[in-house]
Amino acid sequence: MKRMISFAFALSLASALPGVAQAQSANAVAIDSNVMVERTTTDAAGRSQTMLEEPRVVVPGDKLVFVLNYRNNGVRAASDFVVTNPLPQAVAFDGTSDADASVSVDGGRSWGQLATLSIRNADGTSRPARAEDVTHIRWAFQQPIPAGRAGRLMFRGVVR
Amino acid sequence: MTSFSGSFAARHALLATSAIFIFSALPTIAHAAGTRAGTVISNTASATFDNGGGSTTVNSNTNTLTVDELIEIDVDWSDSADVVTTPGATSQPLKFQVTNNGNGVETYGLATVSTIGGDNYDPSVTQIVIDDGDGVYEPGQDTIYVPGSNDPVLNPDQSITVFVLSTTPGGLADGDRGGVQLTATSKTGTGAPGTSFAGAGEGGGNAVLGTSGGDDSDNGFYIVSSANVSIAKSATVLDPFGGTGVVPGSTITYTLVATTTGSGNLPNLVISDAVPTGTTYVPGSITLGGTAQSDANDADAGRFGSGTVTVNLGTVAGGQTRTITFKATVN
Repeated sequence: MKRMISFAFALSLASALPGVAQAQSANAVAIDSNVMVERTTTDAAGRSQTMLEEPRVVVPGDKLVFVLNYRNNGVRAASDFVVTNPLPQAVAFDGTSDADASVSVDGGRSWGQLATLSIRNADGTSRPARAEDVTHIRWAFQQPIPAGRAGRLMFRGVVR
Repeated sequence: MTSFSGSFAARHALLATSAIFIFSALPTIAHAAGTRAGTVISNTASATFDNGGGSTTVNSNTNTLTVDELIEIDVDWSDSADVVTTPGATSQPLKFQVTNNGNGVETYGLATVSTIGGDNYDPSVTQIVIDDGDGVYEPGQDTIYVPGSNDPVLNPDQSITVFVLSTTPGGLADGDRGGVQLTATSKTGTGAPGTSFAGAGEGGGNAVLGTSGGDDSDNGFYIVSSANVSIAKSATVLDPFGGTGVVPGSTITYTLVATTTGSGNLPNLVISDAVPTGTTYVPGSITLGGTAQSDANDADAGRFGSGTVTVNLGTVAGGQTRTITFKATVN
């Protein structure tokens, strides 16, 4: 009898969860991701011009700009707001102009400014982490996001 | 806290530094093959927050990009120095490395040009040979290249050794330099960097020409090393009376000075001189560099037989002299 109750409880929880998520996404924070590629063209006079384009295809070495737009669509402030972007395996991190961002080089277990992180070598020694070692980037906001507030986060990457 | 004004300033900083980023990024393209053509890059960000109902996570939309094939080829002459050859020599190998620095499998055609200018002569290319993998030219074991029939197919980052075999024309001077250019050309196409060939890439995507423009060349060089020998012969006479008259019984001492010139070697240099008619060879009189030589055809360099003095000098490098003497009496 006890076993049956717990089973029924689990069932009701599972069916309830999608409903909760739906209700929240309707009036909570939304986040939108955009990827642009930086293409440089040189005109006849030798002047180079850099354009940001929305790509469908890229080649190794292409410079990508990732733009994340967020908005608090809710009626209440969103606290403990953290945006996390795991880097696609084929993209090497190439910096961010946002000093608030922290990065991880170990799959998201530890975080910090790149200069403070290190990579453990196979022989037990360690070396300073490099941009291409970055696995995740995240922004942890100290202040709640007021209702209706929107913002934009950016970082750069290179197609490996 | 990132606010609107903060992100606006950040955007300006981003654009201001973009030129620097571009220059530093260029070498990355040339070095490694990079992400394999056809790979799909997906990016999804997530946000967690608490707006009163506990911690909640939302995911962004997912951006997907496909990696196109980048055609990047490198040809590099890999002999450590000019390959030494001699006038008339055949099948002299020049060694090149052909490397696929692109990110997809690509087929390359190979061709040579020997009229490159800036050198002293045009080697006559007889064959292009694809190495079996050990980096050493082995006739009969390595594969002779036939254009259009066994064009090399290279995986990303794969490198093969190619030998270019040439005949060195005769009549060249010591120190003459001759070059051959080897070109590898992508079978997909060539053109300005950035040119795209729709649907021609690995996995059905586009193929885009990298900095090499679909082909690359390098020049390899031979240097002619030859040597020559000149022989000066002189004679001194001692007559039976202590004078220098040529009378029966006079002893004539012949001196042969062989002088070699040039940067090469003279292999198996043999000097022989017939004893003049009307004279008789003095047995055991041959010297080489002041050292007496036996008349027998044995281990030492000198011998006498059939009325001829013969001295085998072996291999002599350019810039040396060898002095041989022998004696004969006037009949």
